[in-house]
Amino acid sequence: MEMQVAKNWFAYKKWKPHPFQKQTWQYIAEGYSGMLNAPTGYGKTYAIWFGVLQDFLTRTKNEKKTPKGLHCLWITPLRALSKEIENAAKAVSEDLNLPYTIGLRTGDTTAKEKAAHKKQMPHALITTPESMHLMLAQKEYGETFRNLQFVIVDEWHELLGSKRGVQVELALSRLRAINPALKVWGISATIGNLKEAKDILLGEESDKGIMVKADIEKKIQIETVLPDTLEKFPWAGHLGLKLGNKVLDIIRKSNSTLVFTNTRFQAETWYRHLLDLEPNLAGLLALHHGSLGEDTRKWVEAALHDGKLKAVVCTSSLDLGVDFRPVDTVVQVGSPKGIARFMQRAGRSGHQPGATSKIYFVPTHSLEIIEGSAMRYAVKNNKVEDRIPYIRSFDVLIQYLVTLAISDGFKPEEIFQEVKQTHCYQSITWDEFAWCLAFITTGGKSLYAYDEFHKVIIENGIYKVTNRRIAMQHRLSMGTIVSSGMLQIKFVTGKYLGTIEEWFISRLKPGDVFWFAGKNLEYVRIKDMTVQVRASASNKGIIPSWQGGKMPLSTQLAATIRHQLNEYEKGNIQDKELKFLAPLLEEQKRRSVMPNEQQLLIEKMKTREGCHVFVYPFEGRFVHEGMAAIMANRIALFKPITFSIAMNDYGFELLSDQDIPIEEAVDSDLFTTSHLNDDIIKSVNTTEMAKRRFRDIASIAGLVFTGFPGKQVKTKHLQASSKLFFSVFEDYEKDNLLLKEAYDELYDFQLEIVRLRNAFERIEKQEIIVKNLERFSPFSFPIFTERWREKFSNEDIETRVQRIKAQMEKA
Amino acid sequence: MQLQLGKHSYHLLNEKALFRASDKTLIIADLHLGKAQHFRKHGIYVPQQSAERDYERLTELIQSVEPKRIILLGDLFHSTLNHEWIMFCDVVNMHKKIEFILILGNHDILKEEHYTQVCLQVKRGFLEEEDIIFSHHPLKKIPKNKFCIAGHIHPGVVLHGKGRQSIKLPCFHLSQNQLILPAFGSLTGLQIIAPGKEDGVFVVTTNIVMEV
Repeated sequence: MEMQVAKNWFAYKKWKPHPFQKQTWQYIAEGYSGMLNAPTGYGKTYAIWFGVLQDFLTRTKNEKKTPKGLHCLWITPLRALSKEIENAAKAVSEDLNLPYTIGLRTGDTTAKEKAAHKKQMPHALITTPESMHLMLAQKEYGETFRNLQFVIVDEWHELLGSKRGVQVELALSRLRAINPALKVWGISATIGNLKEAKDILLGEESDKGIMVKADIEKKIQIETVLPDTLEKFPWAGHLGLKLGNKVLDIIRKSNSTLVFTNTRFQAETWYRHLLDLEPNLAGLLALHHGSLGEDTRKWVEAALHDGKLKAVVCTSSLDLGVDFRPVDTVVQVGSPKGIARFMQRAGRSGHQPGATSKIYFVPTHSLEIIEGSAMRYAVKNNKVEDRIPYIRSFDVLIQYLVTLAISDGFKPEEIFQEVKQTHCYQSITWDEFAWCLAFITTGGKSLYAYDEFHKVIIENGIYKVTNRRIAMQHRLSMGTIVSSGMLQIKFVTGKYLGTIEEWFISRLKPGDVFWFAGKNLEYVRIKDMTVQVRASASNKGIIPSWQGGKMPLSTQLAATIRHQLNEYEKGNIQDKELKFLAPLLEEQKRRSVMPNEQQLLIEKMKTREGCHVFVYPFEGRFVHEGMAAIMANRIALFKPITFSIAMNDYGFELLSDQDIPIEEAVDSDLFTTSHLNDDIIKSVNTTEMAKRRFRDIASIAGLVFTGFPGKQVKTKHLQASSKLFFSVFEDYEKDNLLLKEAYDELYDFQLEIVRLRNAFERIEKQEIIVKNLERFSPFSFPIFTERWREKFSNEDIETRVQRIKAQMEKA
Repeated sequence: MQLQLGKHSYHLLNEKALFRASDKTLIIADLHLGKAQHFRKHGIYVPQQSAERDYERLTELIQSVEPKRIILLGDLFHSTLNHEWIMFCDVVNMHKKIEFILILGNHDILKEEHYTQVCLQVKRGFLEEEDIIFSHHPLKKIPKNKFCIAGHIHPGVVLHGKGRQSIKLPCFHLSQNQLILPAFGSLTGLQIIAPGKEDGVFVVTTNIVMEV
């Protein structure tokens, strides 16, 4: 097949196509579906785009006229990306004077544009998973998609590990039913389970689908920013800011720098700190995070693009998206938590083909320095994490069914066959599907008494929504991203600044000053779910912390850290990070023990606070959470005891006001894998944790309604209401699928049950060393200083109150 | 747990109520019934079953102490009229021999006839009997030889112990000549109080009431 259109355009641009681009064009022209694995910045968009264009032009030729209607749907995870792709695609059509029209359909699309689309769809529509589902909620959507030939899913690896991925799967199942000849192409960065990613996207056709891998290796150079002196007693968050001057040096000598932080709190803090250190940066340094207003973010992105900024302090809000050519340096503050994420961020610099991406790693406490070394090892050995897809997400299915009921209605047997083709619902039974149908028509077993849950009615075997209010409520609440209680922040004069969590504001009194968007703001009042503020001259303020953001270390990174520590133990000390850390690790040896890969270290110590037991599995925060609870439960078999539990990514602490019989516990199978599942259920407050997860599920499944625009319901109330639903299902409908889903998600994604079991199996084979400490060891100190604690107790409240009383009287 | 307030002795019940045995008077504060329906009206769907539990608890309490009269210290019904009111009326009608007195609280916005239809006596402000003043709002100034029993606050305390332990519990709060009752309703929050040095704090645990 002649790829004339691509040849013409590349010749016009005086560019030479990469081999992977030529391959992709060829496969698309031959009618294959497939998956393209390529790094950003090498023209992966064009690799797909010209294949699509060629198909269209061939059709035009064969039919002897320009076909009308939608030909290609391009799905991206980000609105910002869709804009970029639209620009690139439009440029091609204009350069070559093609009759191929391109449109955009996202949350920003105006009603006028949508109306124009309804009259005449463009040939290609660039959209998001959410907008895609909104199109399925429109009457006669079948007509719209009748001639659709291609669906392209951009950044599929980003969507895959979320419920937005499930939305894509569902939409594809419907579109394939409308046109069985539909071709699907995914674009993905490198992930551990690339093959699975392809299978999920292409479905049954995957065996015939093609995997194109771009043979381009991106060079990444990692440098850890080391402090002048090593603090032997690391304190979480203590070190980072001290390295401010060194980060400034990096910014000064670079053209343009992205400073990545893990949380919005850190971003605000670093922005302030850098400006305090170097006031001349005012106007050249910007802040970018997900809570800032869209205008502000767009302005920052544009300025970055035009090379007007020296540096931007940002969060994962800039992980994805448009390439910023002027950016030549990236700084990562704090543990990146995962290898894929670190590489993604590194890749935000050095876009010129062949250029090296340079990334500086700024540790936030001295023990974290080890991660610089671990990261280098992981990148070199290509250890990248898997993206775990969601399965059996009944909340998304329920939402989808109501969506279809709003537009043209559906026949259950047909849709059941379709959804069973997807990866997410391949194991769903007819009974389960019927449960979902009952849920949307009668509210199911628990909610039948309420009319508001009789959303869908059945007419001649067709399930549909006839009530306009229900249809409107549903359209407004579609989507799978549930925001956690955000309030808008505006100046009293009306200018919009961004959003902030309700609970933070609830702690403030009028007149209090806080930092947001890099500004000093005085809290004035809350009015209509909007926080009104005015600028303040005071330079003392508190910085809002946003909940969430506490990601655990990935399995791969955790394993790499253990590997590097073991290298140190073996005397294989090559990396400068390890050399620098030597005094700390030697101090650990002096005060305690430095464990190797075959050993698990447990430290025990008594202070005025009580008895501390520290354990170091190096498995990441979530696994530690589960492991600590199980240990607490197993120790509590020896005597009634109450613990407070602290953890970080390297280890955890059990603290009690009584002696902890750790030696006896270790001697009697503290780490056995038998009864592990039972013990988890017994020891972790799974009910409470599942309840928290249920909030999102309830919202996606339409149990709670977040309110009409401008009249949002307070999250406090929403939370209360989803909790009550949870309790009712617990008490009266144990087999409720949404309830089960909350538990499944808890086990898979939060307790990481598979990983937890693997960790126990690993430890079961290890030598366990219990060391009594005189003083805190370097490993224990950062955990000891963690302020946030979990609780565990098998004593009744009366006993605990009695003892606390006794302690208070003594004091 | 028993407490001498003025001339009489009172039982602090772990059902979050107060009982005067001498004349069999049961005192309950802040039931906030009807809240579930109230939420639902504003688009927040609270399942019925959870609301029903409060009526069960109330019935059980009445049956276990067998009072001659019940004084409700306000915030009985947290809503305009909705069908939950009928459920409360059922409880009252089931116990015809008991005298019910309601001291109106800030959330009690039903029309007076609704209360009187079920033979509920209504008092505005407070009710004074012998040396006791029953009130919804705690009183700032209490005459020397008087004692006030009030609600409204929903008091709770956080107890801190060694090993960074803490427990949050509802409580009775006794200051000089005033006792504030914990809220009875389950759809109510806790307001953490900062008790004065001389104050008495009695926490409500699963089975007993304890002074701390």
